[in-house]
Amino acid sequence: MSVTSGNILEVRGLQTQFNTLDGVVRAVDGVSFDLARGETLGIVGESGCGKSVTALSILRLIPPETGRIAGGSIKFEGEELTTLGEEAMKGLRGHRISMIFQEPMTSLNPVLTVGTQIAENVVRHMGVSWRAARERSFEMLDLVRIADARRRLDEYPHQLSGGMRQRVMIALALSCDPQVLIADEPTTALDVTIQAQILDLMLELKEKTGTAIVLITHDLGVIAETTERVVVMYAGRKVEEAPVEALFAEPLHPYTRGLMRAIPRLDIEADAAGMRPRLQEIPGLVPRLTQPIPGCAFAPRCGFATERCRAEPPPLVDAGGGHTVACWEVDRVRASAL
Amino acid sequence: MTAYIVRRLFATLPVMAVVAVFVFFLIRFAPGDPAAIIAGEDATAEAIAQVRAKLGLDRPFMEQFFIWILQMLQGDLGVSIFSNLPVSRLIVQRVEPTVALTLSTLFVAVALAIPIGVVAAWKARRLVDRLVMGFAVLGFAMPVFVLAYILIYFFAVQWQLLPVQGYRPIAEGFWPFVESLILPSVALGVTYMALIARITRASMLEVLAQDYIRTANAKGLATDRVLLLHALKNAAVPIVTVIGIGIALLISGVVITETVFNIPGLGRLTVDAVLKRDYPVVQGLILVFAAAKVLVNLIIDISYAFLDPRIRY
Amino acid sequence: MAVITDDLALPPRRFSLATAIRRNPTITFGAVLLTALIVVAIFAPYIAYSDPFKIAPVNRLRPPSERWWFGTDQFGRDVFSRTVYGARVSLFVGLTVAAFSSLLGLALGLLCGYFRRVDGIVMRVMDGLMAIPSILLAIALITLTRPGLGIVIVAIIIPEVPRIVRVVRAVVLSIRSQPYIESAIAGGTKNAKLLMRHVLPNALAPLIVQSTYVCASAMLIEAGLSFLGAGVPPEVPSWGNIIAQGRTFFQIAPWTILIPGTFLAITVLAVNLLGDGLRDRLDPRLARRL
Repeated sequence: MSVTSGNILEVRGLQTQFNTLDGVVRAVDGVSFDLARGETLGIVGESGCGKSVTALSILRLIPPETGRIAGGSIKFEGEELTTLGEEAMKGLRGHRISMIFQEPMTSLNPVLTVGTQIAENVVRHMGVSWRAARERSFEMLDLVRIADARRRLDEYPHQLSGGMRQRVMIALALSCDPQVLIADEPTTALDVTIQAQILDLMLELKEKTGTAIVLITHDLGVIAETTERVVVMYAGRKVEEAPVEALFAEPLHPYTRGLMRAIPRLDIEADAAGMRPRLQEIPGLVPRLTQPIPGCAFAPRCGFATERCRAEPPPLVDAGGGHTVACWEVDRVRASAL
Repeated sequence: MTAYIVRRLFATLPVMAVVAVFVFFLIRFAPGDPAAIIAGEDATAEAIAQVRAKLGLDRPFMEQFFIWILQMLQGDLGVSIFSNLPVSRLIVQRVEPTVALTLSTLFVAVALAIPIGVVAAWKARRLVDRLVMGFAVLGFAMPVFVLAYILIYFFAVQWQLLPVQGYRPIAEGFWPFVESLILPSVALGVTYMALIARITRASMLEVLAQDYIRTANAKGLATDRVLLLHALKNAAVPIVTVIGIGIALLISGVVITETVFNIPGLGRLTVDAVLKRDYPVVQGLILVFAAAKVLVNLIIDISYAFLDPRIRY
Repeated sequence: MAVITDDLALPPRRFSLATAIRRNPTITFGAVLLTALIVVAIFAPYIAYSDPFKIAPVNRLRPPSERWWFGTDQFGRDVFSRTVYGARVSLFVGLTVAAFSSLLGLALGLLCGYFRRVDGIVMRVMDGLMAIPSILLAIALITLTRPGLGIVIVAIIIPEVPRIVRVVRAVVLSIRSQPYIESAIAGGTKNAKLLMRHVLPNALAPLIVQSTYVCASAMLIEAGLSFLGAGVPPEVPSWGNIIAQGRTFFQIAPWTILIPGTFLAITVLAVNLLGDGLRDRLDPRLARRL
């Protein structure tokens, strides 16, 4: 079934909620998207928009004491993950779906050697001996271009630099040849020069292994360089989805436009005084998610908003060429200058 | 590594020196006339002078100090006023029951408390956790002797499952030996267990919230591997620290437990010496107990280096 | 932008006793229990229905009943009255030790934190004192003096002081390294002024928390010493003494031990709960560690 559709991952109407002292937070509120085999999909949005929670929901790593998947469906190769047994889910994690986290400094266990941390994943999922798993770990470290990989196997994370640790995370995530790799802000914590190296490495490995990637970031620059298709999230909802060229050529949601105005641009010439146009921020704050939002979540911050925007949630409409957007005023937005 | 151990070993010297000097000064600066108090209420001036001579209090101060230091360095802890036997011999005679009691309590308490604390942290805020925390809070408030009598009342008097009192040396057979240690160990160990279970839970809760635990879960590892390797190894340093701090509880508890259960160990020796005001024995025991505590802390300091690769040695 | 602040404003909170209790159940429980025990201790002469010292051999070892609520001991003394009076000894020792060791510990801790030259010596001495198990240190002092409540209190204070010193010293050292203090020192502010302004308020919370634990520990040590016969003079009805005197007849009259023992445990529990609750409220950093 999934083979015919060509999608390895299909997320439909995902709702993830957290219980807090102030009430139930609807961190993800009805998000849907597909991931094709070997594709690179970007999910972009401000912090707190629910993109990381979406990623954790796919792996079912939402801490059960505080949160739960309240609705929707996640299908991996046609198999429903939201109702899958915990043991079967553990068999998928790190094996067929793996994940890279934002903080390379804290995501590796400080008291276990790098070699152990990669090898245990291989032993868990490939059913091989520790000796063979260690060999595999060495190959993986070599693959992510860690120099002197043999020696590094016996080192602890604190002996490695931030960039190296993120390489170790990538080696770990790819050690069992996963079909899907979810990378949650993989370069945010790194220096700019290292960021580019890590992204290049991920793309290069993707070409080699055919792993589909979900790249989660708040950085539209990263999206433009690495992804094929983009989902824009705001306040737990998907507001726009498009092939990456279409999105940058003509962003249709006012929020996406706001994000783009906040990127520093080097292609615009400085004026005579050496000044570039001021970067624009989106006014206002992300709404609290403890109350159901009746209309469009972005309406309080949106320059195009009307009465209807505040009252009724806009449906996702097809704008042609695989470009969908959830905005009542899309025609006015399209007509206005970026 | 050897250099690290040697360095830690040397660091214990000033601590022991302070203990020795403190014990030395205590009797010399105690209010009133210690010799008169030690000799007893109705003592004659002659008897008091005799005690004073025995304690060396009649000699010049500096001379006393150097004699005391020299004796200490030779392992000579002085002579009991009451029995005239060397203090070191009295201590050696009584050491077996105390070592048996403390070690059995230590191992059983640690072996039970850590799993209890781990489960409580894993099932945080559920029923198991609340029961463990309840036990920890109650256990920590329970005086050793009260618990001891409650245990004796039920297990020895009412149900007659275990002996009321006494100690059987291991030479008289393993089972009688174990039987005689069960109630004292439980009475002595509950507070210690409560302390360790509590720190284990707290330390594990902090570790379980860390990013690397999420990474371990994202690998699909079995729960026991995540808890017992990834989490517990990171939580170990505070737990081991508290195991060391708690040794003081065990030592104080031993004095009381041995009295309740009539066990002829160092604790009982201490109490007898206090009641007879046999100060040389008391000071010898203080030095031995302090040395035991310092030794345990040394072992713990060294164990840090094995538990956490970030600690440089 | 200003429009949104309305949305973010929290609903006004009014003080309500029910909410306060729900949010701090341990503080409330501990405080209520402790207050009740203090009331019992203060009004002991009115609560105790008979003379705790009165010996009546005819009525020896009577089990708890309507006439003797907690039974009688081997001298026919009323255990209820003795237990009520025992609360006085325990609480007095606990509170006095907590107060004096806090003051002494605060003074030494400030001294160590401020004058680095004193620090090395004082901390070595503290390390040495901490190496001696507290009950043994108290025992050693008591061996050398005549029995009395005062010497018991002094003997318990000495081993408790180092614990307070460490806490206070740690606070002073951490505050000292703050940039605003460094600049104040560079600007020539007097040490004493700095102490009052910055260190004391910060040291207060951990000091209060630590002193509750010292109070609980002091009550346990006092009872332990009395139980061993090395505490307050045997004629004083402290819980430890009542228990010690009940030992011989424990098998036929267990109430002489179990009842004062339960009271001791409850009192220590109340103080510990108060300490735990205060620690969670006042010192979140410490709370996370324990």
